[in-house]
Order: sequence, then structure tokens, then C-alpha cells
Amino acid sequence: MRKYIALLLLPWLGGCDEPVPSVQPMTPELSAQLSPADPRLAELYAGSCKACHTVKDSLAPLTGDRSAWDARWAQGEAALLSASIQGKNGMPAGGQCFTCTPEDLKRLIRFMAGREDEQ
Amino acid sequence: MKIGRRVLLGGAGLLALGVGGLAGRRMWLSRELELPDAINADGRALWSNWAGNAYAYPAARAAPANEAELAALLPGAKTPIRPVGSGHSFTELVPTEGTLLSLDRLSGLVSHDATAMTATVRAGTKLSALGPLLAGIGQEMPNLPDINKQTLAGALATGTHGTGKGVKAIHGEVTAMRLVLPNGEVAECSRELRPELFHTARVSLGAFGVVSEVTLQNRPLERVKKIVSLVDTEDMLRQWPALAEKHRNAEFLVLPFTGKSALITHDTTTEPVRPRGPDGDTDTLMDLKSLRDLFEFAPELRKKAAQSAMADIPPDIAIDEGWKLLSNERPVRFKEMEYHLPIAEQVGALREIIRRIESDARGVFFPIEARIIAPDDAWLSPFYERESGSIAVHAWYKEDHDWMFRLAEPVFREAGGRPHWGKLHSLGAQEFKQLYPQFAEADAIRRSVDPDGRMLNPFLKRIFG
Repeated sequence: MRKYIALLLLPWLGGCDEPVPSVQPMTPELSAQLSPADPRLAELYAGSCKACHTVKDSLAPLTGDRSAWDARWAQGEAALLSASIQGKNGMPAGGQCFTCTPEDLKRLIRFMAGREDEQ
Repeated sequence: MKIGRRVLLGGAGLLALGVGGLAGRRMWLSRELELPDAINADGRALWSNWAGNAYAYPAARAAPANEAELAALLPGAKTPIRPVGSGHSFTELVPTEGTLLSLDRLSGLVSHDATAMTATVRAGTKLSALGPLLAGIGQEMPNLPDINKQTLAGALATGTHGTGKGVKAIHGEVTAMRLVLPNGEVAECSRELRPELFHTARVSLGAFGVVSEVTLQNRPLERVKKIVSLVDTEDMLRQWPALAEKHRNAEFLVLPFTGKSALITHDTTTEPVRPRGPDGDTDTLMDLKSLRDLFEFAPELRKKAAQSAMADIPPDIAIDEGWKLLSNERPVRFKEMEYHLPIAEQVGALREIIRRIESDARGVFFPIEARIIAPDDAWLSPFYERESGSIAVHAWYKEDHDWMFRLAEPVFREAGGRPHWGKLHSLGAQEFKQLYPQFAEADAIRRSVDPDGRMLNPFLKRIFG
């Protein structure tokens, strides 16, 4: 019986919007080595986002891990920016960067999502 | 006896309605919070604490790069000036419509003394960064709190603590401080230098100026063995005084409605390193939530299901340097009330809290935490001149926490407890004058360094009167 239920569900599951990860998940060790190219942004990142976004147990998507970020990126930058200012799930408002401007947060999201070079 | 088909169908329908209704009720009670606007009508960006229960739209945000910048900034900054660490306080210590002052850029090691085992650190250093930084010079802090995301300044200002017989809270190991007073003057203080300022600035609520540097009395870096084991709550309560005495650091988490507790101990060891595994606390917490969701109105079933699920779980063991084991990731946000009681009152008060929660607050699923802290002599320290047993209750960030004030706080108050400065409480100046023998003296020092109350927001006005 179960296999029939699975077969029935297959088209629905296949229809989900979540893209199939195109890259391998990143390790926390590799993630921790990444830093924004801009020194000011790097300082903001080191003082806030890095504390959770390089630690697997925090449940935050690891910096540079496209396998975790791409589905989020698909929501659009505006949605990610609002979530970062207001907080979402385990992430507190502002991502604990209390001096970041909305523009800073936008750039930090791009960096963590592995899209620093994209305009 | 024959039961008619119609009756059976009707009964099943009613049951389904009942179950559906209960599930719907829980979904409503645990719905996602309505969030404040990201940007307000004046174009100011939102600031909120970690739990999301305190927020503001500051007119200005500042992050001085060094002490000189901090000193130049304070005299002219828009008031109230409120320093922020990591926003981990649940009380409204930080919200300001004036200047939000971050110490994020005042971070790192200034100097150290290998013989005296001291290190001077910039006050904005996060505890998570301080561990490896001190390990690099062969030192460690004698203790760490459960979460290590806080800045050193924020942890000190709120009397943040760990656990252990004879082990002081973090501020108990401070030997000297530098702080910038609201008028821009840089003040140094220690037991010998401006001792009255030292006695207040160690636990300051961020109301006596802004701390820039802290000298910590550390100890040689050691390896510890961490053991987490499940025990019967009744045994735990009976054995707690002896267990607290026996281990370097001991605490326990009562898992309400299960009859079980998690005992966590740390002891110095020379055994080989056995790194901690992936975090299991979050899964356990969500399992407790699922049990609550299913059996909120059937406590006996809830207990049986929990005990069945927890049977034969072996102890979890890790061996490593203390800074890697004492603190934990806490990705599930929550709200918390914690009081520090005279040690002799702890177990009795805890029994009453468990009884009250299990009879009147069946929606609770977070553990109740019990720790032990040694006395110190900072005037606004909750541990001022008394050994304390702390009890903390928690609620998921999305859910109601009024029950803490209704059920737990009266028990804490009756036992002579002093609230954690960064956690929920309803007290004001009148109560603090009774609880803190040096409260009036501390407030006099505060008024002398900040005569115009430039660092007071509405919450702090309630505290100091």
C-alpha cells in the first residue's frame, strides 16, 4: 500500500519549487575561512553573522554553502533583507549586527549566499 | 451491549472534532509573531533583542573603533545612550529612541600576564571568541555561561554566570576595568583605584558609563570531561547538594511532565580528547514540544510516552578544553525568567515551581534549569555576599510567558530571590532597595557619574527609581 501512496505523491513532490542543490554542502571549517573582500564588510561580518553562519549546530545556513542558500536566494533579495532586519526562526533581528544599515545587510546576505560578485 | 453504528459514527466525529479543535488551538497559540516594521515611518531601522520581545527604532547607531572615539562620542550623543552587547537580555535594558551604542569594534586581546594568569580584553569581545583567544595564551576563564554569544561587557553588566560549587559569576573574576563615563572621561578602577566605581561597574546594567577594557583573573587551560545523563527528577532533587559539591561544574534541567531530568557535569581530566558530537539538545527540545502538542491535556499519557521514549538513553560524553564544552548553541529562541535564591531555598522552591507548572501551565515544554553560583562582592551582583542557587524557567519565543509572573515569580520572591538583571522580572527600585544592601550606595555612584540620567531609558528609570 505504501508504495502506491508514494507513487501518488511523486508528481506533487516533484512539483515543489525547491531547486535541487547543484553543489556539495560546505563544511563548517571551509565556511569559517571565508570573509568578505571589503574590509569594512569583513569587520561587520566577523562581529556578527559569522558567530552562527559558520557553526552547523546553530542551524543557520553556512556561509558560502550554495546547497543551503540557493533555495533561500530564490525567495528574492527583498524577502531575505526583511527577514534579516526583523529576525526569522533562530535568527534574531538584524542578525545581531546592530550597526549594520539595510544596505550593509543586503551585501552581507549576498556574500553569505555565495553571490558577492553578482550585481 | 450493542452500540449502534450511528452512535459510533457520532462518537468518532465528535472525537475528530475535539482533536482537530485542540490541534487548531495549539496552532493558534504557537503562531508566528506579528513582527514590528523593518523600517518605521521616520525611516529608522528596527532594533530588537534576540528573543524578539523588546524592540526600538534608535535615532542614531554608533560603533566606535577605539576608546578615544568612544570618549569623543559620549558627551554629545543623543540620549538615552544605551550600550548593546549581543541583545541577549530579555528585559528592556537596551531599547532607546536615542543612541544605540555597539561595542562590536572594541574587540580582542590587549595584553596578558602569564605568571599572574591575567588577561586584559576589549569589552566588546564575544565570549565565543574569547575562549580560543585565551586558549592561545594557555589560559581559560574559570567558568562560562550556557550561551556564549554575549559580549564580555554585556555579560558583566547583567551578572551573567555559569554553574559550580565555589565558582563565581564572570564579574567575580574581574580585577580591573577601564570605562568611559557619560561626560567622556576615561576612568580606571580596581580594588585599589576608585574602588567604589569598581564595586558598581562590574555589574552595571550599562548605566554607569561604557566599559572599554576588562582585566580577567584566569587559570591555566585545562581539559574537562562533560557528561550528560538522564536521571529521575526525584533522585536528582534529593542528591543535588551532594552532586553540586562533587563536580567542578554541575547543573540540571528538569524536563517537566516527564519525571526526568538531565544532569550535566564537567570535571577536570587528563583523558584523551573526545570531541562533542552534533548538537542533540534542539531535537530533544522539539521532541518535548511534540509530546506537549499531542498530550497537553493528558499529563499521565505525556509522562508515560516521555519515559518510554527516554528509556535506555546512554550518557553523552565529551572530553575537550572547557571553552569548547561549557557553552552551547541555542538555535531555538526563547524567553526566560531566572532568580537567584539563597542556596538553602533552591530545592524547596524548585519543587514548588515544578508542582505549579505541572498543575497550572500544561503548555510549558521547555526544561527548568538549576545552577549554583559562589558569592562575590560587587554591589549590584545578584550573588552579593551569598551563595546562590538559581532557577530558570523558559518559554518558546512565539508563546505566552505570562505564567512565569503568575506561577514562578511569587515563589522566587517568597524565597528571597534576586532576579537576573537580563531576564524577565517585574521588580522596581523599592524591591531592589530591600534585596541589595548596597543599592542606595550604588545609585549614589551612578548619579555622580551620570547626574542628568543620560544613560537611563524608561526601564532603567524603573530600576533606579
